[in-house]
Amino acid sequence: MRCNMYPTIFGLYEPSSIYDTLDFLDNGNAKIIAGGQSLIPMLKLRVIQPKFLVDLNKLRGDLDYIEDRGKSIGLGSLATHAKISTDQIVKSKIPLLSVTASKVGDMQVRNLGTLGGSVSNADPSADYPAVLLAYDATLTLISSGGERKVKASEFFKGPFSTELKDNEILREVEFPVLEGYAYKYEKIVRRAGDFAMVGIAVLAKVSDKVEDLRIAYTGVGEKAYRPYELEKELVGKKVTRDDLEKFAEKVSATLTPPSDSRGSSSYRKKVAKIATIKTLSEVLGVVS
Amino acid sequence: MLVRPGEKVKVKVKVNGIWYEKEVEPRKLLVHFIREDIGLTGTKIGCDTSTCGACTIIMNGKSVKSCTLFAFQANGAEITTIEGIGDSKLHPIQEAFKDNFALQCGYCTPGMIMQTYFLLKTNPNPTEEEIKDGLHGNICRCTGYQNIIKAVKDAAGRMR
Ligand SMILES: Cc1cc2nc3c(=O)[nH]c(=O)nc-3n(C[C@H](O)[C@H](O)[C@H](O)COP(=O)(O)OP(=O)(O)OC[C@H]3O[C@@H](n4cnc5c(N)ncnc54)[C@H](O)[C@@H]3O)c2cc1C
Ligand code: FES
Ligand code: FES
Repeated sequence: MRCNMYPTIFGLYEPSSIYDTLDFLDNGNAKIIAGGQSLIPMLKLRVIQPKFLVDLNKLRGDLDYIEDRGKSIGLGSLATHAKISTDQIVKSKIPLLSVTASKVGDMQVRNLGTLGGSVSNADPSADYPAVLLAYDATLTLISSGGERKVKASEFFKGPFSTELKDNEILREVEFPVLEGYAYKYEKIVRRAGDFAMVGIAVLAKVSDKVEDLRIAYTGVGEKAYRPYELEKELVGKKVTRDDLEKFAEKVSATLTPPSDSRGSSSYRKKVAKIATIKTLSEVLGVVS
Repeated sequence: MLVRPGEKVKVKVKVNGIWYEKEVEPRKLLVHFIREDIGLTGTKIGCDTSTCGACTIIMNGKSVKSCTLFAFQANGAEITTIEGIGDSKLHPIQEAFKDNFALQCGYCTPGMIMQTYFLLKTNPNPTEEEIKDGLHGNICRCTGYQNIIKAVKDAAGRMR
Protein backbone atom coordinates (compact mmCIF):
# COMPACT_ATOMS: atom_id res chain seq x y z
CA MET A 1 0.00 0.00 0.00
CA ARG A 2 2.58 2.52 1.02
CA CYS A 3 6.21 2.42 0.17
CA ASN A 4 6.47 6.10 1.02
CA MET A 5 6.90 7.76 4.38
CA TYR A 6 4.55 6.70 7.11
CA PRO A 7 4.55 7.47 10.81
CA THR A 8 5.28 4.67 13.26
CA ILE A 9 2.29 3.21 15.10
CA PHE A 10 0.88 5.44 17.80
CA GLY A 11 -2.13 5.58 20.07
CA LEU A 12 -4.53 8.47 20.35
CA TYR A 13 -6.03 10.40 23.22
CA GLU A 14 -9.00 12.68 22.61
CA PRO A 15 -9.43 14.83 25.69
CA SER A 16 -12.69 16.37 26.82
CA SER A 17 -11.10 19.21 28.77
CA ILE A 18 -7.82 20.99 29.17
CA TYR A 19 -7.37 19.29 32.58
CA ASP A 20 -7.71 15.81 31.04
CA THR A 21 -5.06 16.82 28.57
CA LEU A 22 -2.69 17.92 31.30
CA ASP A 23 -3.22 14.75 33.37
CA PHE A 24 -2.58 12.63 30.30
CA LEU A 25 0.61 14.53 29.48
CA ASP A 26 1.90 13.75 32.99
CA ASN A 27 2.12 10.06 31.96
CA GLY A 28 4.82 11.01 29.43
CA ASN A 29 5.55 9.79 25.91
CA ALA A 30 2.76 11.82 24.31
CA LYS A 31 2.78 14.65 21.78
CA ILE A 32 0.12 17.23 21.22
CA ILE A 33 -1.30 17.60 17.74
CA ALA A 34 -2.72 21.01 16.87
CA GLY A 35 -2.81 21.77 13.12
CA GLY A 36 -0.35 18.95 12.42
CA GLN A 37 1.41 21.04 9.77
CA SER A 38 4.81 20.61 11.40
CA LEU A 39 4.08 17.53 13.50
CA ILE A 40 2.86 15.24 10.70
CA PRO A 41 5.92 15.86 8.49
CA MET A 42 8.12 15.06 11.52
CA LEU A 43 6.13 11.90 12.26
CA LYS A 44 6.44 10.82 8.63
CA LEU A 45 10.19 11.31 8.72
CA ARG A 46 10.14 9.39 12.01
CA VAL A 47 12.31 11.98 13.68
CA ILE A 48 9.76 11.75 16.47
CA GLN A 49 8.00 8.54 17.47
CA PRO A 50 5.62 9.31 20.32
CA LYS A 51 3.55 6.54 21.88
CA PHE A 52 0.45 8.74 21.90
CA LEU A 53 -0.89 11.80 20.14
CA VAL A 54 -3.21 14.05 22.10
CA ASP A 55 -5.68 15.76 19.80
CA LEU A 56 -5.94 19.31 21.07
CA ASN A 57 -8.53 20.13 18.39
CA LYS A 58 -11.16 18.57 20.63
CA LEU A 59 -10.72 21.72 22.72
CA ARG A 60 -10.99 24.10 19.78
CA GLY A 61 -13.99 25.90 21.26
CA ASP A 62 -11.98 26.78 24.40
CA LEU A 63 -8.66 27.54 22.78
CA ASP A 64 -9.09 29.41 19.52
CA TYR A 65 -10.35 32.68 20.96
CA ILE A 66 -9.20 36.16 19.99
CA GLU A 67 -10.05 38.41 22.92
CA ASP A 68 -9.89 42.19 23.02
CA ARG A 69 -8.84 43.21 26.54
CA GLY A 70 -8.41 46.91 25.81
CA LYS A 71 -4.68 47.33 26.42
CA SER A 72 -3.90 43.87 25.13
CA ILE A 73 -5.23 41.14 22.85
CA GLY A 74 -5.21 37.52 23.99
CA LEU A 75 -5.06 34.75 21.38
CA GLY A 76 -5.79 31.14 22.27
CA SER A 77 -3.11 28.76 21.02
CA LEU A 78 -5.45 27.05 18.55
CA ALA A 79 -6.22 30.21 16.55
CA THR A 80 -5.26 29.32 12.98
CA HIS A 81 -3.04 31.41 10.74
CA ALA A 82 -6.09 31.91 8.47
CA LYS A 83 -8.23 33.16 11.34
CA ILE A 84 -5.49 35.48 12.62
CA SER A 85 -4.86 36.96 9.17
CA THR A 86 -8.53 37.80 8.59
CA ASP A 87 -9.70 38.72 12.10
CA GLN A 88 -10.74 42.38 12.42
CA ILE A 89 -9.52 42.81 16.02
CA VAL A 90 -6.07 41.53 15.09
CA LYS A 91 -6.04 43.67 11.95
CA SER A 92 -6.84 46.89 13.80
CA LYS A 93 -5.09 46.35 17.16
CA ILE A 94 -2.02 44.21 16.43
CA PRO A 95 -1.61 44.66 12.67
CA LEU A 96 1.97 43.37 12.52
CA LEU A 97 0.69 39.94 13.60
CA SER A 98 -2.09 40.12 11.03
CA VAL A 99 0.20 40.80 8.07
CA THR A 100 2.67 38.18 9.25
CA ALA A 101 0.00 35.49 9.57
CA SER A 102 -0.96 36.07 5.93
CA LYS A 103 2.63 35.30 4.90
CA VAL A 104 2.93 31.94 6.65
CA GLY A 105 3.21 29.02 4.19
CA ASP A 106 0.32 28.82 1.76
CA MET A 107 -3.45 29.08 2.05
CA GLN A 108 -3.97 25.37 2.77
CA VAL A 109 -1.31 25.41 5.50
CA ARG A 110 -2.86 28.55 6.99
CA ASN A 111 -6.26 26.87 7.13
CA LEU A 112 -4.90 24.23 9.52
CA GLY A 113 -1.75 25.55 11.18
CA THR A 114 -2.04 27.34 14.50
CA LEU A 115 -0.32 30.11 16.40
CA GLY A 116 0.39 27.79 19.33
CA GLY A 117 1.78 25.06 17.09
CA SER A 118 4.15 27.39 15.33
CA VAL A 119 5.33 29.06 18.51
CA SER A 120 5.77 25.73 20.38
CA ASN A 121 7.61 24.24 17.45
CA ALA A 122 10.10 27.16 17.42
CA ASP A 123 11.49 26.55 13.97
CA PRO A 124 14.45 28.97 13.70
CA SER A 125 12.97 30.25 10.42
CA ALA A 126 9.33 30.51 11.56
CA ASP A 127 7.64 33.87 11.18
CA TYR A 128 5.81 34.39 14.47
CA PRO A 129 8.75 34.25 16.88
CA ALA A 130 10.14 37.53 15.51
CA VAL A 131 6.73 39.16 15.88
CA LEU A 132 6.36 37.92 19.46
CA LEU A 133 9.75 39.40 20.29
CA ALA A 134 8.91 42.72 18.65
CA TYR A 135 5.67 43.03 20.61
CA ASP A 136 7.29 41.68 23.79
CA ALA A 137 4.36 39.25 23.97
CA THR A 138 3.54 37.19 27.05
CA LEU A 139 2.93 33.44 26.80
CA THR A 140 0.78 31.48 29.21
CA LEU A 141 1.93 27.91 29.82
CA ILE A 142 -0.19 25.46 31.74
CA SER A 143 0.44 22.06 33.32
CA SER A 144 -1.32 19.99 35.97
CA GLY A 145 0.84 21.89 38.46
CA GLY A 146 -0.65 25.23 37.43
CA GLU A 147 -0.09 28.15 35.15
CA ARG A 148 2.92 30.37 34.50
CA LYS A 149 3.59 33.36 32.31
CA VAL A 150 6.74 33.76 30.29
CA LYS A 151 7.98 36.66 28.14
CA ALA A 152 8.76 35.92 24.49
CA SER A 153 12.39 36.90 25.13
CA GLU A 154 12.69 34.01 27.61
CA PHE A 155 10.44 31.51 25.85
CA PHE A 156 12.54 30.72 22.78
CA LYS A 157 15.67 28.78 23.72
CA GLY A 158 17.14 27.54 20.44
CA PRO A 159 16.23 25.57 17.32
CA PHE A 160 12.99 23.70 18.08
CA SER A 161 13.56 24.32 21.75
CA THR A 162 11.47 26.43 24.11
CA GLU A 163 10.64 26.96 27.74
CA LEU A 164 7.76 24.41 27.41
CA LYS A 165 8.17 21.22 29.44
CA ASP A 166 6.92 17.89 28.10
CA ASN A 167 3.85 18.00 30.34
CA GLU A 168 3.00 21.62 29.59
CA ILE A 169 0.89 23.20 26.90
CA LEU A 170 0.89 26.69 25.55
CA ARG A 171 -2.52 28.08 26.34
CA GLU A 172 -2.32 31.61 24.95
CA VAL A 173 -0.19 34.42 23.64
CA GLU A 174 -1.00 37.94 24.77
CA PHE A 175 0.08 40.96 22.73
CA PRO A 176 0.09 44.54 24.05
CA VAL A 177 -1.83 47.03 21.91
CA LEU A 178 0.68 49.63 20.74
CA GLU A 179 -1.13 52.74 19.55
CA GLY A 180 0.27 54.81 16.71
CA TYR A 181 3.04 52.44 15.68
CA ALA A 182 4.13 51.93 12.09
CA TYR A 183 4.84 48.29 11.26
CA LYS A 184 6.14 45.91 8.64
CA TYR A 185 7.00 42.25 8.28
CA GLU A 186 9.55 41.78 5.52
CA LYS A 187 9.96 38.17 4.50
CA ILE A 188 12.61 37.11 2.04
CA VAL A 189 12.08 33.67 0.57
CA ARG A 190 13.60 31.65 -2.25
CA ARG A 191 10.18 30.65 -3.53
CA ALA A 192 6.59 31.47 -2.62
CA GLY A 193 5.35 29.67 0.48
CA ASP A 194 8.75 28.77 1.87
CA PHE A 195 10.05 29.52 5.34
CA ALA A 196 11.96 32.79 5.65
CA MET A 197 15.55 32.94 4.52
CA VAL A 198 15.48 36.24 6.39
CA GLY A 199 12.44 37.65 8.16
CA ILE A 200 12.31 41.10 9.77
CA ALA A 201 9.53 42.31 12.04
CA VAL A 202 9.47 46.04 12.79
CA LEU A 203 7.35 48.19 15.06
CA ALA A 204 8.20 51.87 15.34
CA LYS A 205 6.73 54.98 16.81
CA VAL A 206 7.85 57.96 14.80
CA SER A 207 7.12 61.68 15.19
CA ASP A 208 9.72 64.15 13.95
CA LYS A 209 12.15 61.67 15.49
CA VAL A 210 12.10 57.96 16.33
CA GLU A 211 10.39 57.56 19.71
CA ASP A 212 10.46 53.79 19.93
CA LEU A 213 11.86 51.06 17.72
CA ARG A 214 11.52 47.30 17.96
CA ILE A 215 13.18 45.18 15.29
CA ALA A 216 13.35 41.40 15.40
CA TYR A 217 14.80 38.83 13.03
CA THR A 218 14.05 35.26 12.12
CA GLY A 219 15.92 32.78 9.92
CA VAL A 220 19.30 34.25 10.78
CA GLY A 221 20.31 32.33 13.87
CA GLU A 222 19.43 29.57 16.29
CA LYS A 223 16.28 31.42 17.28
CA ALA A 224 14.52 34.70 16.66
CA TYR A 225 16.71 37.61 17.63
CA ARG A 226 16.17 41.19 18.69
CA PRO A 227 19.17 43.52 18.94
CA TYR A 228 17.92 45.41 22.01
CA GLU A 229 21.08 47.43 22.54
CA LEU A 230 21.51 48.48 18.91
CA GLU A 231 17.85 49.51 18.65
CA LYS A 232 18.53 52.21 21.22
CA GLU A 233 21.05 53.88 18.92
CA LEU A 234 18.26 54.94 16.58
CA VAL A 235 15.82 56.07 19.27
CA GLY A 236 15.52 59.80 19.99
CA LYS A 237 16.98 60.68 16.61
CA LYS A 238 15.88 61.98 13.29
CA VAL A 239 17.29 58.99 11.45
CA THR A 240 19.18 59.46 8.17
CA ARG A 241 20.05 56.96 5.48
CA ASP A 242 23.60 57.01 6.80
CA ASP A 243 22.42 56.05 10.30
CA LEU A 244 20.44 53.16 8.82
CA GLU A 245 23.39 51.84 6.90
CA LYS A 246 25.58 51.88 10.00
CA PHE A 247 22.85 50.26 12.06
CA ALA A 248 22.27 47.52 9.46
CA GLU A 249 26.00 46.85 9.23
CA LYS A 250 26.27 46.44 13.00
CA VAL A 251 23.21 44.20 13.23
CA SER A 252 24.40 42.05 10.37
CA ALA A 253 27.75 41.58 12.12
CA THR A 254 26.01 40.13 15.18
CA LEU A 255 23.97 37.57 13.21
CA THR A 256 24.91 33.90 13.02
CA PRO A 257 22.71 32.47 10.26
CA PRO A 258 23.04 28.81 9.31
CA SER A 259 24.20 27.71 5.85
CA ASP A 260 21.48 25.54 4.39
CA SER A 261 19.30 25.05 1.33
CA ARG A 262 17.88 28.54 1.81
CA GLY A 263 21.26 30.22 1.46
CA SER A 264 24.77 30.34 2.86
CA SER A 265 25.50 32.06 6.11
CA SER A 266 27.42 34.92 4.54
CA TYR A 267 24.76 35.47 1.90
CA ARG A 268 22.05 35.63 4.55
CA LYS A 269 24.02 38.22 6.48
CA LYS A 270 24.20 40.38 3.37
CA VAL A 271 20.52 39.91 2.67
CA ALA A 272 19.70 40.75 6.29
CA LYS A 273 21.68 43.97 5.99
CA ILE A 274 20.03 45.16 2.78
CA ALA A 275 16.60 44.11 4.00
CA THR A 276 17.13 46.00 7.26
CA ILE A 277 17.93 49.20 5.38
CA LYS A 278 15.01 48.78 3.02
CA THR A 279 12.48 47.90 5.73
CA LEU A 280 13.54 50.58 8.16
CA SER A 281 13.64 53.33 5.50
CA GLU A 282 10.06 52.47 4.72
CA VAL A 283 8.79 52.20 8.30
CA LEU A 284 10.72 55.21 9.61
CA GLY A 285 10.04 57.27 6.49
CA VAL A 286 13.72 57.87 5.69
CA VAL A 287 14.31 59.21 2.20
CA SER A 288 17.53 58.31 0.49
CA MET B 1 -11.34 8.71 24.49
CA LEU B 2 -8.24 6.49 24.48
CA VAL B 3 -7.05 4.41 21.55
CA ARG B 4 -4.03 2.31 22.49
CA PRO B 5 -1.11 1.91 20.08
CA GLY B 6 -2.06 -0.78 17.55
CA GLU B 7 -5.82 -0.30 18.05
CA LYS B 8 -8.09 1.27 15.47
CA VAL B 9 -10.20 4.39 15.72
CA LYS B 10 -13.67 4.91 14.31
CA VAL B 11 -13.84 7.67 11.71
CA LYS B 12 -17.12 8.96 10.35
CA VAL B 13 -17.02 11.50 7.56
CA LYS B 14 -19.44 12.92 5.04
CA VAL B 15 -17.74 12.89 1.65
CA ASN B 16 -19.52 14.55 -1.26
CA GLY B 17 -22.81 14.26 0.59
CA ILE B 18 -22.51 10.63 1.68
CA TRP B 19 -21.62 9.47 5.21
CA TYR B 20 -18.91 6.82 5.52
CA GLU B 21 -17.88 5.09 8.73
CA LYS B 22 -14.66 3.07 8.93
CA GLU B 23 -12.26 1.74 11.53
CA VAL B 24 -8.73 2.84 10.73
CA GLU B 25 -5.33 3.09 12.33
CA PRO B 26 -4.76 6.51 13.93
CA ARG B 27 -1.76 6.96 11.65
CA LYS B 28 -3.82 6.61 8.48
CA LEU B 29 -3.58 9.76 6.39
CA LEU B 30 -6.79 11.34 5.18
CA VAL B 31 -5.66 11.12 1.56
CA HIS B 32 -5.30 7.33 1.89
CA PHE B 33 -8.64 7.13 3.65
CA ILE B 34 -10.27 8.93 0.72
CA ARG B 35 -8.46 7.00 -1.99
CA GLU B 36 -8.24 3.53 -0.49
CA ASP B 37 -11.01 3.16 2.07
CA ILE B 38 -13.66 5.15 0.21
CA GLY B 39 -12.30 4.51 -3.26
CA LEU B 40 -12.32 8.06 -4.59
CA THR B 41 -9.07 8.29 -6.51
CA GLY B 42 -9.57 11.74 -8.03
CA THR B 43 -7.54 13.21 -5.18
CA LYS B 44 -3.84 12.74 -5.98
CA ILE B 45 -0.65 12.32 -3.98
CA GLY B 46 2.19 14.25 -5.57
CA CYS B 47 4.82 14.88 -2.93
CA ASP B 48 3.47 13.50 0.33
CA THR B 49 5.29 16.35 2.06
CA SER B 50 2.61 19.07 1.99
CA THR B 51 4.46 20.95 -0.72
CA CYS B 52 2.61 20.33 -4.00
CA GLY B 53 -1.11 20.66 -3.23
CA ALA B 54 -2.19 17.74 -5.48
CA CYS B 55 -4.04 16.28 -2.49
CA THR B 56 -6.06 19.45 -1.76
CA ILE B 57 -9.64 18.84 -0.65
CA ILE B 58 -12.26 20.92 1.11
CA MET B 59 -12.88 20.04 4.76
CA ASN B 60 -15.61 21.91 6.62
CA GLY B 61 -15.46 24.67 4.03
CA LYS B 62 -11.67 25.11 4.06
CA SER B 63 -9.05 23.86 1.65
CA VAL B 64 -6.51 21.55 3.25
CA LYS B 65 -3.75 19.21 2.09
CA SER B 66 -5.05 15.73 2.83
CA CYS B 67 -1.55 14.21 2.88
CA THR B 68 -0.80 16.25 5.97
CA LEU B 69 -3.88 15.39 7.96
CA PHE B 70 -4.79 12.17 9.72
CA ALA B 71 -8.14 10.57 8.94
CA PHE B 72 -9.09 10.78 12.63
CA GLN B 73 -8.78 14.56 12.46
CA ALA B 74 -11.62 14.55 9.93
CA ASN B 75 -13.98 12.65 12.21
CA GLY B 76 -17.41 14.27 11.95
CA ALA B 77 -16.31 16.55 9.09
CA GLU B 78 -17.89 17.32 5.75
CA ILE B 79 -15.49 16.82 2.89
CA THR B 80 -15.69 17.75 -0.76
CA THR B 81 -13.33 16.19 -3.28
CA ILE B 82 -12.93 16.75 -7.02
CA GLU B 83 -15.62 14.12 -7.61
CA GLY B 84 -18.10 16.18 -5.62
CA ILE B 85 -18.05 19.63 -7.24
CA GLY B 86 -19.91 19.09 -10.52
CA ASP B 87 -23.24 17.27 -10.63
CA SER B 88 -23.84 15.43 -13.86
CA LYS B 89 -21.96 18.08 -15.82
CA LEU B 90 -18.59 19.71 -15.24
CA HIS B 91 -18.33 22.49 -12.66
CA PRO B 92 -17.63 25.97 -14.18
CA ILE B 93 -14.08 25.78 -12.78
CA GLN B 94 -13.55 22.47 -14.59
CA GLU B 95 -15.00 23.98 -17.77
CA ALA B 96 -12.68 26.97 -17.47
CA PHE B 97 -9.61 24.75 -16.95
CA LYS B 98 -10.58 22.74 -20.02
CA ASP B 99 -11.29 25.74 -22.23
CA ASN B 100 -8.11 27.58 -21.24
CA PHE B 101 -5.77 24.60 -21.67
CA ALA B 102 -4.90 24.88 -17.98
CA LEU B 103 -3.69 21.30 -17.81
CA GLN B 104 -1.36 18.99 -19.64
CA CYS B 105 -0.68 15.76 -17.78
CA GLY B 106 -3.51 16.66 -15.39
CA TYR B 107 -1.91 15.30 -12.24
CA CYS B 108 -1.99 18.61 -10.37
CA THR B 109 -5.43 19.50 -11.70
CA PRO B 110 -7.73 18.05 -9.01
CA GLY B 111 -5.75 19.94 -6.38
CA MET B 112 -5.63 23.12 -8.48
CA ILE B 113 -9.35 23.00 -9.00
CA MET B 114 -10.18 22.34 -5.34
CA GLN B 115 -7.93 25.21 -4.27
CA THR B 116 -9.54 27.46 -6.90
CA TYR B 117 -12.92 26.37 -5.55
CA PHE B 118 -11.91 27.55 -2.07
CA LEU B 119 -10.30 30.73 -3.35
CA LEU B 120 -13.34 31.79 -5.37
CA LYS B 121 -15.65 31.02 -2.48
CA THR B 122 -13.71 33.33 -0.15
CA ASN B 123 -12.89 35.87 -2.87
CA PRO B 124 -15.24 35.69 -5.89
CA ASN B 125 -13.39 38.39 -7.81
CA PRO B 126 -9.65 37.96 -7.20
CA THR B 127 -6.93 40.08 -8.77
CA GLU B 128 -4.03 38.34 -10.48
CA GLU B 129 -1.91 38.87 -7.37
CA GLU B 130 -4.61 37.33 -5.21
CA ILE B 131 -4.86 34.34 -7.54
CA LYS B 132 -1.10 33.80 -7.28
CA ASP B 133 -1.25 34.14 -3.50
CA GLY B 134 -4.18 31.73 -3.37
CA LEU B 135 -2.58 29.06 -5.56
CA HIS B 136 1.08 29.10 -4.63
CA GLY B 137 0.64 26.02 -2.47
CA ASN B 138 -0.11 24.08 -5.65
CA ILE B 139 2.70 23.07 -7.95
CA CYS B 140 2.30 22.30 -11.65
CA ARG B 141 5.22 20.79 -13.54
CA CYS B 142 3.64 21.15 -16.98
CA THR B 143 1.72 24.28 -17.77
CA GLY B 144 3.93 27.12 -16.58
CA TYR B 145 0.93 28.46 -14.65
CA GLN B 146 -0.12 31.16 -17.13
CA ASN B 147 -3.12 29.23 -18.41
CA ILE B 148 -4.05 28.22 -14.89
CA ILE B 149 -4.24 31.87 -13.88
CA LYS B 150 -6.29 32.59 -17.00
CA ALA B 151 -8.61 29.72 -16.15
CA VAL B 152 -9.15 30.97 -12.62
CA LYS B 153 -10.05 34.44 -13.93
CA ASP B 154 -12.36 32.87 -16.48
CA ALA B 155 -13.98 30.65 -13.85
CA ALA B 156 -14.56 33.66 -11.60
CA GLY B 157 -16.42 35.30 -14.49
CA ARG B 158 -18.51 32.20 -15.19
CA MET B 159 -19.49 31.85 -11.53
CA ARG B 160 -20.66 35.44 -11.03
C1 LIG C 1 4.21 23.62 3.21
C2 LIG C 1 4.42 24.31 4.54
C3 LIG C 1 4.91 25.60 4.54
C4 LIG C 1 5.10 26.26 5.74
N1 LIG C 1 5.59 27.52 5.71
C5 LIG C 1 5.77 28.19 6.85
C6 LIG C 1 6.26 29.53 6.85
O1 LIG C 1 6.48 30.13 5.79
N2 LIG C 1 6.45 30.14 8.03
C7 LIG C 1 6.18 29.53 9.22
O2 LIG C 1 6.36 30.16 10.26
N3 LIG C 1 5.70 28.29 9.26
C8 LIG C 1 5.49 27.60 8.11
N4 LIG C 1 5.02 26.33 8.16
C9 LIG C 1 4.73 25.71 9.47
C10 LIG C 1 3.32 26.06 9.87
O3 LIG C 1 3.26 27.40 10.28
C11 LIG C 1 2.75 25.19 11.00
O4 LIG C 1 1.38 25.47 11.06
C12 LIG C 1 3.29 25.44 12.37
O5 LIG C 1 4.68 25.40 12.41
C13 LIG C 1 2.81 24.39 13.35
O6 LIG C 1 1.49 24.62 13.74
P1 LIG C 1 0.48 23.45 13.85
O7 LIG C 1 -0.73 23.99 14.51
O8 LIG C 1 0.32 22.79 12.58
O9 LIG C 1 1.21 22.52 14.96
P2 LIG C 1 1.51 20.97 14.97
O10 LIG C 1 2.21 20.57 13.74
O11 LIG C 1 0.29 20.23 15.35
O12 LIG C 1 2.52 20.93 16.20
C14 LIG C 1 3.85 21.42 16.10
C15 LIG C 1 4.60 21.13 17.41
O13 LIG C 1 4.10 21.94 18.47
C16 LIG C 1 3.54 21.15 19.52
N5 LIG C 1 2.33 21.86 19.92
C17 LIG C 1 1.29 22.25 19.13
N6 LIG C 1 0.42 23.00 19.82
C18 LIG C 1 0.91 23.08 21.08
C19 LIG C 1 0.45 23.74 22.27
N7 LIG C 1 -0.67 24.46 22.30
N8 LIG C 1 1.20 23.60 23.39
C20 LIG C 1 2.35 22.88 23.38
N9 LIG C 1 2.84 22.26 22.29
C21 LIG C 1 2.13 22.36 21.16
C22 LIG C 1 3.31 19.78 18.90
O14 LIG C 1 3.37 18.77 19.87
C23 LIG C 1 4.43 19.70 17.90
O15 LIG C 1 5.62 19.32 18.54
C24 LIG C 1 4.81 25.62 6.98
C25 LIG C 1 4.31 24.33 6.98
C26 LIG C 1 4.11 23.66 5.77
C27 LIG C 1 3.56 22.28 5.80
S1 FES D 1 0.67 15.27 -1.90
FE1 FES D 1 -0.15 16.56 -0.41
S2 FES D 1 0.80 18.42 -0.83
FE2 FES D 1 1.77 17.08 -2.24
S1 FES E 1 -0.74 19.59 -15.68
FE1 FES E 1 0.93 18.28 -15.30
S2 FES E 1 1.50 18.89 -13.28
FE2 FES E 1 0.04 20.34 -13.80
